[in-house]
Amino acid sequence: MVISAETRARIDAAIAKYPKKRGALLPALHLVQEQTGWITPEAARELATIFDLHPIQVMEVVSFYNMFYDRPQGRHHVHVCTNLSCSLRGSRELLRQLEQHLGIEAGETTKDGRVTLGREECLGACAWAPVLRVDETYHENLDVDAAKRLVDGLE
Amino acid sequence: MPRITVDGTEYEVAEGRTLLQALDDLGVLMNGVDIPHYCWHPKLTIDGSCRLCQVEIEGIPKLQIACSMPIQDGMKVHTKSQRVQDARAGVMELLLVNHPLDCPICDQAGECKLQDYAFAYGVPHSRTQEPRRAGKKRVDLGPTVMFDQERCILCRRCVRFCREVPGTSELAVFARGDRSVIETFPEMPLSNDYSMNVADICPVGALTTKDFRFKIRVWFTEDLPGVCTGCSNGCNVHLGVANNRVYRYTPRRNDAVNQTWLCDEGRLSYKRINADDRIDHAAVRNADGNLVSVPYESALETAVARIRRVIETKGAGAVGMLVSPHATNEDLAVARRFLDALGSTQAGFALVRGRKDALLIKEEKAANAAGARAAGFEDAAPLLERVRGGAVEALLVMGHDVLAPAYANARAALEGVDTLVLLDTHRSPLEALAHVVLPARHAAEKHGTLTNVAGLVQAVQPAVEPVFEARAEGEALWRLGQLLGLRGFEEPHPQDRTGA
Amino acid sequence: MQKVPFVTGYLTEHFGDDDYATLAGYRRRGGYEAARKALTEMSAEQIVELVKNAGLQGRGGAGFVTGLKWSFMPKGNDKPKYLVCNADESEPGSFKDRLLLERGPHQIIEGILIAAKATGAEKTFVYIRGEYAHPADVLERAIEECRAAGILGAQCLGSDLAHDVIVTRGAGAYICGEETGLLESLEGKKGQPRKKPPFPAQFGAFGMPTTVNNVETFSHAPHIVKNGAAWFRGFGTEKSPGATVFGVSGLVQRPGLYELPLGTRLDEIVFQHAGGPLPGRKVKGVIPGGMSMPILPVSQLDVPMASEFLRERKTLLGTGGVMVLDDTVCMVRVGCVITYFFRDESCGQCTQCREGTGWLNKIMQRIERGAGSLADLDILLDVAGKMEGQTICAFADAAAWPVQGLLRHFREDFEAHITHGKCPFPQSFEL
Repeated sequence: MVISAETRARIDAAIAKYPKKRGALLPALHLVQEQTGWITPEAARELATIFDLHPIQVMEVVSFYNMFYDRPQGRHHVHVCTNLSCSLRGSRELLRQLEQHLGIEAGETTKDGRVTLGREECLGACAWAPVLRVDETYHENLDVDAAKRLVDGLE
Repeated sequence: MPRITVDGTEYEVAEGRTLLQALDDLGVLMNGVDIPHYCWHPKLTIDGSCRLCQVEIEGIPKLQIACSMPIQDGMKVHTKSQRVQDARAGVMELLLVNHPLDCPICDQAGECKLQDYAFAYGVPHSRTQEPRRAGKKRVDLGPTVMFDQERCILCRRCVRFCREVPGTSELAVFARGDRSVIETFPEMPLSNDYSMNVADICPVGALTTKDFRFKIRVWFTEDLPGVCTGCSNGCNVHLGVANNRVYRYTPRRNDAVNQTWLCDEGRLSYKRINADDRIDHAAVRNADGNLVSVPYESALETAVARIRRVIETKGAGAVGMLVSPHATNEDLAVARRFLDALGSTQAGFALVRGRKDALLIKEEKAANAAGARAAGFEDAAPLLERVRGGAVEALLVMGHDVLAPAYANARAALEGVDTLVLLDTHRSPLEALAHVVLPARHAAEKHGTLTNVAGLVQAVQPAVEPVFEARAEGEALWRLGQLLGLRGFEEPHPQDRTGA
Repeated sequence: MQKVPFVTGYLTEHFGDDDYATLAGYRRRGGYEAARKALTEMSAEQIVELVKNAGLQGRGGAGFVTGLKWSFMPKGNDKPKYLVCNADESEPGSFKDRLLLERGPHQIIEGILIAAKATGAEKTFVYIRGEYAHPADVLERAIEECRAAGILGAQCLGSDLAHDVIVTRGAGAYICGEETGLLESLEGKKGQPRKKPPFPAQFGAFGMPTTVNNVETFSHAPHIVKNGAAWFRGFGTEKSPGATVFGVSGLVQRPGLYELPLGTRLDEIVFQHAGGPLPGRKVKGVIPGGMSMPILPVSQLDVPMASEFLRERKTLLGTGGVMVLDDTVCMVRVGCVITYFFRDESCGQCTQCREGTGWLNKIMQRIERGAGSLADLDILLDVAGKMEGQTICAFADAAAWPVQGLLRHFREDFEAHITHGKCPFPQSFEL
């Protein structure tokens, strides 16, 4: 079993909130990812059993959404917004600097598995551009040096 | 009943239908009223994403998709206006922006809806100079189907089919936008009893059957109507014929029998027609006990001599017949006539039974068991008992279904008869027991009718001609009857090929 | 992120107080009194009439008259009815809902209760974009407080209305902000919009009658109930009453949030409130309502920010996300950013959208690289025109309009790229 008992309990609690079980699928995927970092085929099969779905119905959902992953990820996600207001304030250059700093391209993970760097669409913090998201936290008004320090501080 | 007007012609349609459904019900869709479409299919749920079926409806400012537009009494539809033409041309151009220029190597060419509609409704020149979306071109989706990601126009028919018809849901669209791609789940390939239907419903060459891949260009083939003989459902087929060979079966729509589908096993049963194990010469067993090839008429004469001897020594009642549930009603009628003329009641038919499902696959693995029963033939088991008991000395056997496990000890019973005349299409261990072997014709090689499990009588006609001498069972029996001097067999059989 | 907009109004005036996000703090300022009135003293019909008369329009971008939308819900109770609070805010340039969630969660819940009474809904699903983890937590805490205090539950505020609010997180897909795309996602599927009809009021969440409203739309409701329709109409224009929270971003001195009446002029917002362009620069163009809305050149900023006026300039209010571009900016690069976004976010169902967004982006990138021709500009407009009005949802229109806007007002940027074979703005932001 990939899904831990604790995660399963949280999934069951989520299921109780929806008139139809399947409404809890996105919450369940978030919960499984909290535990394992990405959705393996095995996890998809287990979720399919829980939700009375074909595994492919779980996997197609994973593939549709930016925040669900079908391959291993770094321990931390660092996503730089490259949409308009952030680009106007230099977010593209910021991303390039981070790529160089980490030695990877956007979409890749550092060899030590610490950081996955990515680009993101509008995060809803446009007035404080450039914006980047580290896991669940927004960091706004960053300059390149602050961003590098932030990334270096991740375990 | 609501009445609608399409391009000036009035039609009366059923309640509760959409525009495409109503026109399809009337048989005029793409047959008088041309509304090209991709994602809609008469036997699948409505999708509405291809946007090709847009039409103009008076009173509604925006163009509407005909596949989901509910019929309203008095609706006035225009399918040929400039707006509609422009919309279609727009959709066609956009579909071709990423579609690979594969026609020269694509199996679908010649029966491709992208080619057809681009030619009929599209723009003559491509304006794009952008690199096309790259994808995998030979994806092994499963045992029967090959997938080319680049050719896919994402009509999603295949996805809906797997979900709705066999209910196996192996396919889904992954990702989104112009990175959308159809995939399977790891280790869960496209593998169900109806998998090859996805190649039929795919409007383009994205999904093709491995069986037909690169075999022949479709414009060299002719589609002839026929019936699958794999089981008693009697699914309607087109036989794809070229060079006197059948290259494939494709479904022929019949809403009362098989909708627009075929099971994979039945679809592939076309291979039996030109198979290597056809019995391709008449034979008789010589004094050394070996089967030797002889001309057909000569084999008939040997059979006649042996049967006559049995009649003279044991009486006509010692002559029996195992008819075939694969034979046509017309063949079976001759068999009945033969037995009646002999005054023999020694008859039955052997039938192979197998698994069935809730869709098309039926338990009886022959096309005309219902016809055999209607002609008064019962199951072979009692006859085999009597044969074992010595009541039957001459047995005409059609087909080799009697060797099936359901008829235990059949071999032992048959070994004991004095004369066994075998009329069959394919080789089998039964030949070892036969004294005379006569090549028979497959349903694709003769005229006749077959009665399916629901009692529906369906016609077959010759699509190919055997290259060796073979006669339908009815023809052969008629000639036997003639040679035996049986009453009622004086005139030649209507389909007699001997010219006698 | 600012806690308080630079200009506040009835929606955000208390956002400076941290305890306003708590039940006690909200109640101290008269919170839930409007809901109590609606739940115990008004009928569903009265509430609908009130909100209709007030003329509140949806604040999620489409601007549909809210009271009218509420009236579409069936009257009987044979099926459960639901509300959905659309907190998927993903329109580039729009960040007002995030503030309303973090600083005014109870205001939203109060608005939901009023709508619940008006529509007979038994449950609200707040669909909040996956990236808004913190706002989701704030809202969950507020909901917990309400459940504990009997504001949500079997007898809300002591009335006979039973209602609960569930927070459900998205997972990163702009199209889930589209009404029926949201419903699909809420049901655990890919967020692919549905064909309409049927509309959500007939067939919505889990097949039940549903009304979907934006976060800000709900937030206005308590104020309308408290102060009346005439009061609400005292703000804004005749056709677009009330206030809204504008989000200003891009190359301005004071990017941030501004709560202002609808109808405030765009040039007033950009030059006075937001302080105008950065030192030494001039404003070149402004996107008025989030990135889906066609851009206006600096010469056309004298327009009241309300759709009935913006429409005359071939653009719309959208979500009021004002994005300011100055004279360093290359509009072709802007076109690349915009077309990339729509190409990335298309759900992929409809041919025109899936293939059109891809083609537009590819052409735009090629022009930006300096390999474009004048004929490409005709193709861009032609493809954009083929995408409009022919798809399951309005995403394709939203993808087409910005391209039309850029070519309408900044064709010279494109022509310069083409004739010079490269970007003619050395100082422009980089791609």
